[in-house]
Amino acid sequence: MPTPYLVIDGLTKVYERGQVHALRGLSFSVEKGEFLVVIGLSGSGKSTLLRCINRLIEPTEGKIWLDGTDVARLSAKRMRRVRRRIGMIFQQFNLVDRATTVRNVLTGRLGYMPGWRSLLGLFSSQDKQTALANLERVGLRDKAYARVDELSGGQRQRVGIARALMQKPEILLADEPVSALDPATSHSIMQYLEQMNRQDGVTVIASLHFLSLARRYGTRIIALKDGQLVFDGPPKTIDNAKFKEIYGEDAEEVEVR
Amino acid sequence: MSSTPGGTGAPQDRLKVLSRRAFSFLLDWMAWGYVAYCVMYLLNYYWYTVHVDWWGTLTLPSWGWPVVILSTLELAVWCRSLGRSLGQRAIGVALRPVAGERIRLGRRVLRGFLWHLSVPFAPVWIARGEEPLHDRLTQVGLRTETPDPERPGRRAILTQWGFFSLFLAALTMCVGWLIIGINLQVLIRRAPQAGRIWGEMLRPDFRYFTAPDPVFHLRALSYSILDLTVVTVFMALVATVLGGVMAFPLSFLGARNVMGFSPAGWATYGVIRGFFNVFRSIETIIWASIFAIWVGYGTVLAGILALTIHTIAALGKLYSEQVEGVSPGPLEAVWAAGGSRIQVVRHAVIPQVLPSFWAFTLYRWDINVRMATVIALVGGGGIGDMLFYYKNQGDWSKVGAVVMVIVAVVWAMDYISGRLRERIA
Repeated sequence: MPTPYLVIDGLTKVYERGQVHALRGLSFSVEKGEFLVVIGLSGSGKSTLLRCINRLIEPTEGKIWLDGTDVARLSAKRMRRVRRRIGMIFQQFNLVDRATTVRNVLTGRLGYMPGWRSLLGLFSSQDKQTALANLERVGLRDKAYARVDELSGGQRQRVGIARALMQKPEILLADEPVSALDPATSHSIMQYLEQMNRQDGVTVIASLHFLSLARRYGTRIIALKDGQLVFDGPPKTIDNAKFKEIYGEDAEEVEVR
Repeated sequence: MSSTPGGTGAPQDRLKVLSRRAFSFLLDWMAWGYVAYCVMYLLNYYWYTVHVDWWGTLTLPSWGWPVVILSTLELAVWCRSLGRSLGQRAIGVALRPVAGERIRLGRRVLRGFLWHLSVPFAPVWIARGEEPLHDRLTQVGLRTETPDPERPGRRAILTQWGFFSLFLAALTMCVGWLIIGINLQVLIRRAPQAGRIWGEMLRPDFRYFTAPDPVFHLRALSYSILDLTVVTVFMALVATVLGGVMAFPLSFLGARNVMGFSPAGWATYGVIRGFFNVFRSIETIIWASIFAIWVGYGTVLAGILALTIHTIAALGKLYSEQVEGVSPGPLEAVWAAGGSRIQVVRHAVIPQVLPSFWAFTLYRWDINVRMATVIALVGGGGIGDMLFYYKNQGDWSKVGAVVMVIVAVVWAMDYISGRLRERIA
């Protein structure tokens, strides 16, 4: 039996000198081509989990096997080479507001560039072509030379997606990609992620707040509570009782259409 | 905070309680020490200037200092026990009974006496998480005072603390006035002499605005006002550019968010920030007097070096504070895409800070022009050479001309750099 694409084994993260336990011995695995949705309350460890996978946050304990290498033990230099294959999009988009859209998209290419070229900002013409093509793909070709602070929230997240596409990622981490957006825009962003998942075969791990979005787009759902896994299975199997267990007794489900 | 009884709290919390109690006690002691100093100054002043007894002396005898120190200490102790303590108030605590409504005067006096016995051991008790003996035996403790939002209390100035601070302020003013010992009458008495100078300065002599003044020499060469004005502006420009160019890379090394939290990162950050703080606190005019001895008195080079050093430190600090204030999101995104530290700085930090860097640099040029007009006083070169030469000659109408040109240049610089900064921001 081939090993799964991503294996998380006993992942633990402790913040602030042992005061806060964000993740407590988390273990699960992800197959190539899955669309995994992580749900859970605020502070349940979703963001920490995603950031441990590409080591933006150093895990305290545990192993993260990505395609046969233990990411948690790599040196900083080799970790950078692995990060090139891991795309990431963020809740707050994390774009440079003062720079143009195409500049922001090109920063997705930095991991592949030699130091001196990136220091001078000399992106190759091929990279620029790719950047424009990726902007075309997310429907923002006409905004390529506009400053990011002129764009709306949904447009900014699409720039974030184009930036992740520049890496030609094998796996995409999406940290609450639609939490700052309205419902209609949320669906359009999620559809871009779905398209990447289906057409390019990118494995997607997305944390979401709304169960309805998770059911609609995910091929599999895991739920976190206090840094522990409380659910793992296909979207259909989350019933009302499970929902209450994840979100607490007083929770009501809100539908996003 | 407050010393919670019964050994609760982590060791570092107990140490914090100890240090805060010690700090508040020192504050009380220093307050009384200050009052004692003021009183002694006033007595001295009376003795020598009002009473005028030149035969007697008013120095403290050899046992005087211990007495002053001990009596201020006693005053502090009794204030703390009797419940009127500046130090306790400063850290937001007050003496409260362990049980019951209020503390009788007798218990307070008893605490005052007991303090003298138990104070050598008080640190040990507090560090072990217990109340010190004088608090334990009198059944009181220092507790955090939480203001009751339902009962806002009187206006601060009408409380006894308000009266006390008014008294302290008045005392400070009186003693301060005697200490600086100025006499404002001269302002009136010597007005006629000043009037002559003002009159000459207001009839400025612009004959040597463009033509070199044969009277004024710098190394066997004569200069016009305009010559030296241009020199001064360019001194400031060169110093600003050099300083900015050097401060730019250093500022990233002195920014917490760029350097990370490794020991090497901390060390670099500390060294760079220390350099900025030390070199910035030494004023340009002091640097100029150092460099004037080093590279030649009255040379432009001395002035430029002085301005540059101070500019590096001042701009470096401003720059690195800007770098620390960038939004962390874009940095995270470049890390996530596999970028190196240098790439993070180049593509996530610099685009965010560049406009404010330009604004600070322009502002610094403005400051440097103003500084460059006076550093000639200590041998830094520039138009100040001319200004102080004419002043020493008593040629006030030429001084007036130079001052007016300086005012015009500084005003123009201020206006231009202000407009440019508006456009950038």
